[in-house]
Amino acid sequence: MKTFLRIIAGLAVLGVVALLAFIFVPVQRSAPATDLAADWQPEPGQGEYVMHASDCVACHTADGGENMAGGRAIASPMGTIWSTNITPDKDTGIGNWSYADFRGAMVDGVTPNGTHLYPAMPYENYRLMSEEDLRALYDYIMTEVPAVSNKVEETKLSFPFNLRFGIRAWNWLALTHEPGFTPTSSTEAETRGQYLVEGPGHCAACHSPRTAFMSQDGITASDENFLTGGVIDGWNAPALRGADSAPQQWSTEELALYLATGRNAHSAANGEMGLVVEHSLQHLTDEDNIAMAAFLKGIDGADVDLPDTIAAADHRSMAPAPADAAGEATAKMLTEASPDISLGARLYLDNCSACHFVTGKGAPEIFPELAHNALVTGSETKPLVSIILNGAEVPGTAKRPMTLRMQGYANRLSDDEVAELASFLRSAWGNDASAVTAADVAAVRAAGASH
Amino acid sequence: MTDIPGLPSRRSFLKASAAGMALSGLALPAAAQTKPAPVSLDDYSPEYLTADEWAFVMAATARLIPSEGDGPGALEARVPVFIDLQLAGDYGTADDWYMEGPHDANAEPARGWQTPLNPAQVYRQGIPAFNAWCEETYQAEFAALEPAQQDEALTALQKGEVGLPAEVRDFFTILLANTKEGYFADPQYGGNFEMQSWVYIGFPGARAAFREWPTRHNVKYPLGPVSISGERA
Repeated sequence: MKTFLRIIAGLAVLGVVALLAFIFVPVQRSAPATDLAADWQPEPGQGEYVMHASDCVACHTADGGENMAGGRAIASPMGTIWSTNITPDKDTGIGNWSYADFRGAMVDGVTPNGTHLYPAMPYENYRLMSEEDLRALYDYIMTEVPAVSNKVEETKLSFPFNLRFGIRAWNWLALTHEPGFTPTSSTEAETRGQYLVEGPGHCAACHSPRTAFMSQDGITASDENFLTGGVIDGWNAPALRGADSAPQQWSTEELALYLATGRNAHSAANGEMGLVVEHSLQHLTDEDNIAMAAFLKGIDGADVDLPDTIAAADHRSMAPAPADAAGEATAKMLTEASPDISLGARLYLDNCSACHFVTGKGAPEIFPELAHNALVTGSETKPLVSIILNGAEVPGTAKRPMTLRMQGYANRLSDDEVAELASFLRSAWGNDASAVTAADVAAVRAAGASH
Repeated sequence: MTDIPGLPSRRSFLKASAAGMALSGLALPAAAQTKPAPVSLDDYSPEYLTADEWAFVMAATARLIPSEGDGPGALEARVPVFIDLQLAGDYGTADDWYMEGPHDANAEPARGWQTPLNPAQVYRQGIPAFNAWCEETYQAEFAALEPAQQDEALTALQKGEVGLPAEVRDFFTILLANTKEGYFADPQYGGNFEMQSWVYIGFPGARAAFREWPTRHNVKYPLGPVSISGERA
């Protein structure tokens, strides 16, 4: 018995020591994948370009706040995470950070004092960035971004998520990949695209599913689940691979146009993707947007034809597409406009068909297609219902300055009617998705226009 | 990036449960809309018109678009409600009109509004003047006359035989125009109740989507109207 107690006590002591070590032993930073000379200098503009490609602004600038001065509330299931000030202000920003400190945050998710960053910061993806880009970005932030004194609210999550040392364990599961980029694409354009998609673009943060531990399930092109679709705050980030995915359904040029302008012949960028276009992708070169489109197109072996340019500024007449084979029956039914049609179809004719047409094809670069649209048929119905109730807006971009705006129908349609309409959209023109209930609609309506 | 993705939310659980209970196969009939019936015209409390003026507007509009014969009359379409609400609103007060004058009652009609009175004041002064003429001619005010007498009196009013003061010279013109507007305007303004006039003339309302129809010659457009607020008929 005594021996047994001694063993128990010994194990307990060992456990405490291990826990203390886990909490207090300093975290190791990963070594750079490439050694750059100390006097290496980025090209002029390189750092700013990396900043755009990495979409730092999206999270680190608050609505109406100073550029990169933090303070944007990022909703998470565990509580609100407040983005930090990454201007070179010495007191409230990162002005005192050495390059090694900066690199530790980007690659290992660790701040200079050893605190772990919440993985809302996509260091899982930034870990793949080249040493040159990281250096250029650091250089840009330290020398070109104006220092802003802005003390942001401290993130206080509920227990146990407030214990940041727990992220150390999480990182053991999530950061199994080595820092630095490993190309697996065959052409130069696709390799460049792969780098931008996997690394700075951090597309997988939304478009890959999550594991049971909430780490990204698929970080590089060699991972099976990479970019097979995820769910963020009730919105589908659609799959970017697979026969039904947009990159396989659209031409490389159409996909590149979507990235650069938030619109193409098929779709318009809503929600988070609209912000990505606004803050990040519209600032990239045509070459890079084409490269990303080419990588996504060819990721599973499809042939890639590279367009020379995208979003030409010439005046073109873009005729709306006729109904496709899967959509013909619905188009014919709507055209006949019989008084006996279902309520959903009637509501479509009364409210939607003036812009999206009986074909469900919409009009190129203005009114998105509803047939085979991932937002319409997604597993999550909140985005579709929210857009019907509250409308939507696609921001203007440098190449396509016109803001696209759809009005909301919250005052015109009841919950039952929105449910009937949404259910119709999810089953029309060959769409095959589940019905929406009035209770679903009521929940979205109650959440208000901010969601 | 405004979220940490991945955790199943309480909402998605609720949604999944609700979906299990949904009667997704049962589509509602297209015209089904349940709205409480509005207060009857007899019990209606006017916003602007007095009781006497209300009685006149009811009687006069009922002769301008009568209920007998084809289609709904002004009363079925609740035209008096439309007129009352318009007179109570910025039409009645001529809110955004140029009202400084000069006003010349003898000017050609094409010269526009030729009275310093706003429409609400034209009704307020026109109705008693016309009723006084009716008393003189038929020994009863307009609302109490037989339909045939009312038609006669309105015809006299229209032809300018009533001898109204110059400032209410256009009373009949305004009354007739307002009656037509109340009959055909979108129901949100109080008239055209249940879009009866649109159904009657085959106007499909605020649908704004007939791209397929200009080339479909000699085919009757079959679908009933929709109002601006989404009412269906």
